Amino acid sequence: MTSFFNKASAAALLLGFMPTATLADEQTAWRLFIADHGQPAVHVIDAVSGTELVSFATRAPATLYRSGSGRTVFAVQRDGNVVQAISSGISTSDHGDHGDLKVEETKLLDMAVAGTRPVHFVDHGGNIALFFDGEGIARIIPESEVLAGSPSVREIRTGAPHHGVAITFGDHVLVTEPNKEKPDELPVGIRVLDAQGTPAGGLHACPDLHGEAASGNIVAIACAKGLLIAQAGDKGPSIGFLPYSDELPEGKVTTLLGGKGLQYFLGNYGPSAIVLIDPTADDAFRRIELPTRRVHFAVDPVRPKFAYVFTEDGRLHQLDVISGKITRSLALTEPYSMDGHWSDPRPRVAVAGDAIFVTDPLKSTLHMIDAASFEKTRDIAIAGKPFNIVAVGGSGEAH
Amino acid sequence: MLKSFRRAALATVITLTSFGTASAYAEPLKVVASFSIIGDFAQNVGGDRIALTTLVGPDGDAHVYEPKPADAMAMSKADIVLVNGLHFEGFLQRLVEASATKASVVELTKGVEPIAMKEEHAHEEGESHGHHHHGDTDPHAFQSIANAKIYVKNIADAFCAADAQGCDSYEANAEAYTRKLAEAETEVKAAVASIPQDKRVIITSHDAFGYFEHAYGLTFLAPEGISTEAEASAADVAALIRQVKEDKASAIFVENITNARLIEQIAAETDLKVGGTLYSDALSSNDGPASTYIDMMRNNIATIKGAIMGS
Repeated sequence: MTSFFNKASAAALLLGFMPTATLADEQTAWRLFIADHGQPAVHVIDAVSGTELVSFATRAPATLYRSGSGRTVFAVQRDGNVVQAISSGISTSDHGDHGDLKVEETKLLDMAVAGTRPVHFVDHGGNIALFFDGEGIARIIPESEVLAGSPSVREIRTGAPHHGVAITFGDHVLVTEPNKEKPDELPVGIRVLDAQGTPAGGLHACPDLHGEAASGNIVAIACAKGLLIAQAGDKGPSIGFLPYSDELPEGKVTTLLGGKGLQYFLGNYGPSAIVLIDPTADDAFRRIELPTRRVHFAVDPVRPKFAYVFTEDGRLHQLDVISGKITRSLALTEPYSMDGHWSDPRPRVAVAGDAIFVTDPLKSTLHMIDAASFEKTRDIAIAGKPFNIVAVGGSGEAH
Repeated sequence: MLKSFRRAALATVITLTSFGTASAYAEPLKVVASFSIIGDFAQNVGGDRIALTTLVGPDGDAHVYEPKPADAMAMSKADIVLVNGLHFEGFLQRLVEASATKASVVELTKGVEPIAMKEEHAHEEGESHGHHHHGDTDPHAFQSIANAKIYVKNIADAFCAADAQGCDSYEANAEAYTRKLAEAETEVKAAVASIPQDKRVIITSHDAFGYFEHAYGLTFLAPEGISTEAEASAADVAALIRQVKEDKASAIFVENITNARLIEQIAAETDLKVGGTLYSDALSSNDGPASTYIDMMRNNIATIKGAIMGS
């Protein structure tokens, strides 16, 4: 592995990348993947130096997702009818008493999964489930095979095109049930399929299904009146229903994030409020009013205590998920109104090690905020309209 | 909202509280125990002078536990946090950081003579760089009652340091409880002695009983390593099946914290009947057979002896 890293380091240096040495043999590396709002381009930025390492042309403007491992970034191209994959070049592994970090060149992989209108992406346990709304088909690929270049694709057909999602759960798959009478509307529930594709049990009703996330060993799926909560059971997933509490005003969650390091979920609840959700607590929902409408939010995978919310007044807020309070706010951009089209270019948030990054698409800028002081430390110019952003990286020993 | 959350947090995670009956002039010592066995030790030593919160409750698996915001809240208010150490609680570091607790975090395995994890798993994991979170030391020191006495002494010392006025009470409680531990240990040793030498190899789900083996003389084989997080390899399972078929293992058991499927698979491929449930890393609920540490140790050896002698 040592010689491998030396080669990787040399390649990285050629690309202008230098991992940060924090101890004698402890390295830190973070990369940002930023998709342009209107152009079919993905820029890869070294989060430590702020320099652009490489950019890739995709077939259409992309929405980016990172795998749980961080080894792969997926470019989901709804209007290009394809999903492409990028090897991030960074992998970390945990060895109990130490962690390892391996750094290689970032590259666009020679593979693509084609289908009509891919939208939702879910990685659960290393199995990537891509849902193609235009066909009502989920295509499931193991990340390991994606990185090897020739993934086997398992297809699950739901019977009708719809805005759906699939989530692998061990040997099982949770997949949306379309609204058969009105397929243009949101799904009506979840079915559980076993390894052979046979339904296990009946439909788990979830009208207006939209939004899912995993945190630790729990998967949550948002519905009109509450959340479906899936956990491992003796014979596959066990699914229960957690209704919204009576203390919440009328509303529902349509976007969910899962906490990292602490087990919780963060959801929207109407345009200008969010909810912190602990499905295991008696009082599972804590609603937090925002000063203005929410543009985007992200959980902090490095400092589990915090999540971040960007609001349309151009401010980034630090949310303490333990106290349930906004603890700090920072004016960062000009206002970005939530009026207009839902997919207009607006800021997106990602956390990379000790820094928080916020795209500012109308200013062709990436803002960098120090996570500890919560102060802006630099602006990085990015061509075009930097929009969707994901971060990949970590620290570890380079053997 | 915050107020109601706090109420919920207390209702959710506090397993035993003892307000009011403590000394009239002092607040109870706020103690967080990382998992149920330590919680039981702490309650025996602290008595009515402590308010105890146990994070990973009965039948819970500390190896893969995901701490909740409410756990961080409890930890932030604690005076003392009691943990096993030896990398047993993989969630501990991030919980300490998230809670910004100022409490003393006391590792109860201090003074225990650690043993290494079993060779075959150390070798495999070292080769494959698979995921594990214990380093090379077996953290399940509480499976030896002699070690449990060390845990108890460490708890008494920690309580005395934090609450000098209660020290006499803590030490008296620790002494009384240690006597009960000694009685239980005598029973365990006698039970093992009654099992024929050639019947002392058994199978469990994961390597949780290394200290029991070391102290009392049974041999435990397991398809999973010392963390339930690591998957068993096909080679491990095949080797265990071969051992059973060669009549080298006398009984097979499921554990309360692990999925029984793997053990049931091994049992199905051999003629061994699953001999019952062993309590490895967690106590049972109050209505179960192992709701205290001493009951757990008595139940485990009774289950083992019953399965072997009945086979």
